[in-house]
Formats: sequence, structure tokens, C-alpha cells
Amino acid sequence: MRGVMEVVVARPRPAGRSARLRLGRYTVAVAALLLACMVGVMVGKAPVDPGTAVAILLSRLHLLQVVPWWPASLETILWEIRLPRVAMGALVGAALSVAGATYQGLFRNPLADPYLVGVAAGAGLGATLAMAAPLPASLYSLGIIQFAAFGSALLAMALVYSLARVGGSTPITTLVLAGVAVGALANAMTSFLMYAHGDKLAVIYSWMLGGFNVTTWRQAALVAPSVLIAVLVISLLGRVANVMQLDDDQARSLGVNVELVKLVLVVAATLATAASVSAAGLIGFVGLVVPHVVRILWGPDHRSLIPLSALVGAAFLVSADAGARLVPGPQDIPVGVVTAFCGAPFFLYLLRQQKRSVF
Amino acid sequence: MIVTDDAGRQITLPAQPRRIVSLSASNTEILFALGLEDQVVGVDQYSDFPPSAKGKPQVGSFAKPDLERIVALEPDLILATEMHVKTTVPDLEQRGLKVLVVDPKDTMGVLKGIRLIGRATGQQQQAEDLAEGMQARIASVTARLQGTEPVRVFFELSPALHTAGPGSFVDDVIRLAAGSNIAAGAGKQWPQLNQESLFMADPQVILLADHAAGETPEMVAARPGWQQISAVKNGRVVVVDPNLVNRPGPRVVEGLGLIAGILHPEKVK
Repeated sequence: MRGVMEVVVARPRPAGRSARLRLGRYTVAVAALLLACMVGVMVGKAPVDPGTAVAILLSRLHLLQVVPWWPASLETILWEIRLPRVAMGALVGAALSVAGATYQGLFRNPLADPYLVGVAAGAGLGATLAMAAPLPASLYSLGIIQFAAFGSALLAMALVYSLARVGGSTPITTLVLAGVAVGALANAMTSFLMYAHGDKLAVIYSWMLGGFNVTTWRQAALVAPSVLIAVLVISLLGRVANVMQLDDDQARSLGVNVELVKLVLVVAATLATAASVSAAGLIGFVGLVVPHVVRILWGPDHRSLIPLSALVGAAFLVSADAGARLVPGPQDIPVGVVTAFCGAPFFLYLLRQQKRSVF
Repeated sequence: MIVTDDAGRQITLPAQPRRIVSLSASNTEILFALGLEDQVVGVDQYSDFPPSAKGKPQVGSFAKPDLERIVALEPDLILATEMHVKTTVPDLEQRGLKVLVVDPKDTMGVLKGIRLIGRATGQQQQAEDLAEGMQARIASVTARLQGTEPVRVFFELSPALHTAGPGSFVDDVIRLAAGSNIAAGAGKQWPQLNQESLFMADPQVILLADHAAGETPEMVAARPGWQQISAVKNGRVVVVDPNLVNRPGPRVVEGLGLIAGILHPEKVK
């Protein structure tokens, strides 16, 4: 692994042919995302033909003036249920994949996933606290559960980071271990709260399972800034992230402010993860595997790995959620089951195709 | 005395148990209704009715009873449910304890369960009286609803739209109350209803069983798009105490009366 990364760091960026290659990658990834969104809008329990779907969306955006030939309920389903679901799927898919790619690079560990530094456990504890506490209904209407999840996820990360600090630096191994320990503690507290509040068990449990069944535009709008800022910041740090593949001393000797970069990357990745966990619960596999797929397809250079992971992750989760809605009957299969069931074999196929080390 | 329990097992029981432990809130309610309060020496964590049940020693949660505490209470009869059959029941029986599984699946099953517990505890007459009284009240509700057009119902267990599907106890209560459960096609007991499917089914009544966790009819009405659902349009989103309709115990007649009154206020008060 070290060998591959060193080549990436050392190699100057060639122009010409490789610029066209880079453009090709982005074209493929953007096309995949657009295709996934189209499928996402078409697939659902309420049948709709493509023409009507397009007409509904265009007239909703005031781009088309027609007398509606569709029932009002179909418009509501498409605009208030299905479209926010697609938007949130894209945001969460991008957030988890970028966070996964960042942690895998930063921790120099191919098994790192977005939930590694206690973010998920922190969010779960915050949400459970908000559900267990006897708060006034008006607070729940405002989305106190989502805010509590988001806030406590950031708190968990801050705690992990300060616990892992040794002298003036934050060794990666200590960071991971502190994350695991804080996560375990938060999970234990969550379990106790669930035990002590049996009457709210169904609600707490349903929050943990997550998914996009009741996603709203408002939630998507709340999540979007965190995700977009994080993706942008981490993308801009792509070159430095490459240098961080070396050990801390080597990176330092190349003029990188190692501690600052580490902090910015972890905070940005946590911001994205916390926002998505607070809105959609825990969705496994995306953050772990999408970055690897992008590495296998297009190489480990973080300058392209991060933005491509965002696009591919968004496309993957939107498709997986559409797949979750394809089953007959008035219910879906959990989206995490789809991501693992379809993603794992595809990942293994790519892994076998690739006859060399990929990380 | 030999009885067959709800798990189909034949069990030899003492004629008159004096120390009874109940591992579920529903069976605790039945024991108390049969006048066995003094014989109950331990209950699970969720046994909260009648209020005096909360004063009994607790033997852990419904899902994970504490074996040590149960054994220490030296019970001569333990009432368990279907959920305990694979793990807890063998553990208890290996320690020489007598376990009776009572787990009604529908309203009529509750009457059977009451009679079974009555037989197992030597309270046959009380059980018969209780069951007959309940049967009469159920019959009076169903008689008034005879020929009534069923009302489409959504029973909300969580804001993420978890609900009670076919085979659940609630599903049966809704049917008896001349309701049509919109999750009937879900194919499992506790499904999560797809939101689009809910819109297409257009429930006429929404029963909010997640009120304890903060959901209110106002919040339901404020969900995007939900103003178009008949139940919301007509102000028929009603908070219900899930324990009245979730628990296969004596209060199921109250639960049935309550649901029937919500679904058909013109016929049942």
C-alpha cells in the first residue's frame, strides 16, 4: 500500500491525455448519479409513467403550464414523499462515502468506516435521550431528535479527539482506540435508556433502524449544508490527504501542518456523518465499500477519490433505496439490506478482477 | 393435574399453586383479575396494571427475565409467553420449575387463556365468570356493529410508520371493531408501512399509539402532504393507549370498546 501512495504523492500531475481521462471519469460518475435519480423518481409503490412524472415535476417547478391530468394525491406522493427521499439518499450516500474515504486515508486503514470514531454511537445516544426525556411536543415538531443526534455525534467526536491527544499531537492509533471506547460507552448508555423506557422502545428502535421512509424536504435542507461543506472542504484537501498517507514525520518534513490537517479532515468527515445519521439512522456498507470501488476503478489519488466517491456513493444509495421499494406489498426492505446484498458481490467481483493490491 | 398450554406442551401442575411468577404484563393482568394478587410473588418489568402490580418484586425485563431472581422467589408456577419458549422456558425447567405458556393470538384466544390460567391456579369459577362477562361485552359491541361498513384504519406505532400487521393482536381488535387495517397486506406482524402505500390506502382513521414518545395529532397534520389523507382532513387522528389493545389480557374488552367508539361513534359510545 505504501508503494502505491508514494507514487501518487511524488508524481507531478501530467496534462493533456490524462486531463481528458479525468474528465471521462467525472462524466461517468455524474451520468450514474443522474440515472440513479431518474430511476429513484420512477420507482415506488404508486405507479407513474415517465411522461406524467416529468410533467408533475416541471409544473411544480413552474417550468410547464398545463392542466393537471393526474390526481392531486399522485403529485403529493411524487413531490412530498419520493423526491425528498431521492434527494436525501443522494446526500447521505455522498456523505458516508466521502467520510469513509477520508477515514480510510487518514487512518491508513482499509477497514475504516464513517462510524469509527464514535459518531454513530454518539448520535444514537443523543436521539435516544431526546426520545426518552419528557419534552414538550412542540420541541419534537421542531425536530429535536435530529438536532440531539447531530449535536451528540459532534460531542462524541470532540471527546474522542481530546482523549486521544498526547502532548501536542494526536496519534492515529490512539484516535481509533478512543473512538471505539467512547462508542462502546455511548452504546451501553443507549441500551440502558432503552431498558429503562420500555414504553418508548418501538419508537427508539424504529429510529435506530433508520431509512428514508418519512424523509421530508425540510430534513434534506437541514442536512444539505453540512454534507456539501464537508465534501467541498475534503475535496480541496485532496493533495494534502495524499501526503498524509506517509507517516506523520515524513508528512511534516514535506511542510504539512499534520495536526491541523488531521483535525480539519476529522471534523469535516464527522460533520457529514453526523448529519446523515441524524436524518437516516445507520446505513452500513456504503461508507466502507464505495471508496474502495472508486479506488479500484480510478486509482487512489485523493484529489479525485473524494469527489468521485461523493458522486458514486450518492448514485449507489439512491439506487439501493429504489431497490428497497421494489418489493411487492405495502412495505420496503431495509435499505441497509439492499446496500450489503447488492454491493458486496459487486465489490468482490471488482476485487477479483483486479489482480493487484488496491489500497 | 395435567394441562396443555399455548405452546402445545403437556404440563403436570400442582393443584393449587401458592407462589406464582408472571413474565408478561398481560398474564399479570389476568392473575390479578382472577383475585390471585396475594399468590403473585414476582412480575416482569412492564407489569404496571393494576397499579398494585408495580409493588410486586420484579424479575427483570419481559425479553430478558433474571433467572436468579426467579429461582430465589421459589415459585411453584411461572407464566410465560411464546417469546420465552426457546430460551427462558428450558432454562427454568432445567432448574425444576413449572412453566405454563399462555400467549393468546386474538381476542377469543384471551378468553381461552383466562380459562387456562383459571384451571392451572384452581380459580376455575372466577375464570369462567370473567370470560363469560367479557364474551358478553364483546358480543354486545360486535352486535351493534353488525353489517357496518368497515372503516380504513392506520395504527401508528412509530413516526417512521411502524404498525401492526396481520397476525398481531391489534389487527384482530381492529377487525372486531369493524375496521379495516390498511397494513393487512403487509405479510408480517410488525411491518414498517411504506409512506406512499399509506397515501394510496387513504386511512379514514389514524390511531396514534406512539403518543407516549411525543407524537400528537397536530404533528401528524403538519407532516408534508398529510392534509390530503382523509383521517387528517376530517380530524380523525386519535391518541390511543397502546397497552389497551396490545396486551392480550382482561382489558381487551375496554380496548375493543374504545376502538369501536373511535371508528363508529354513531353506533358505539
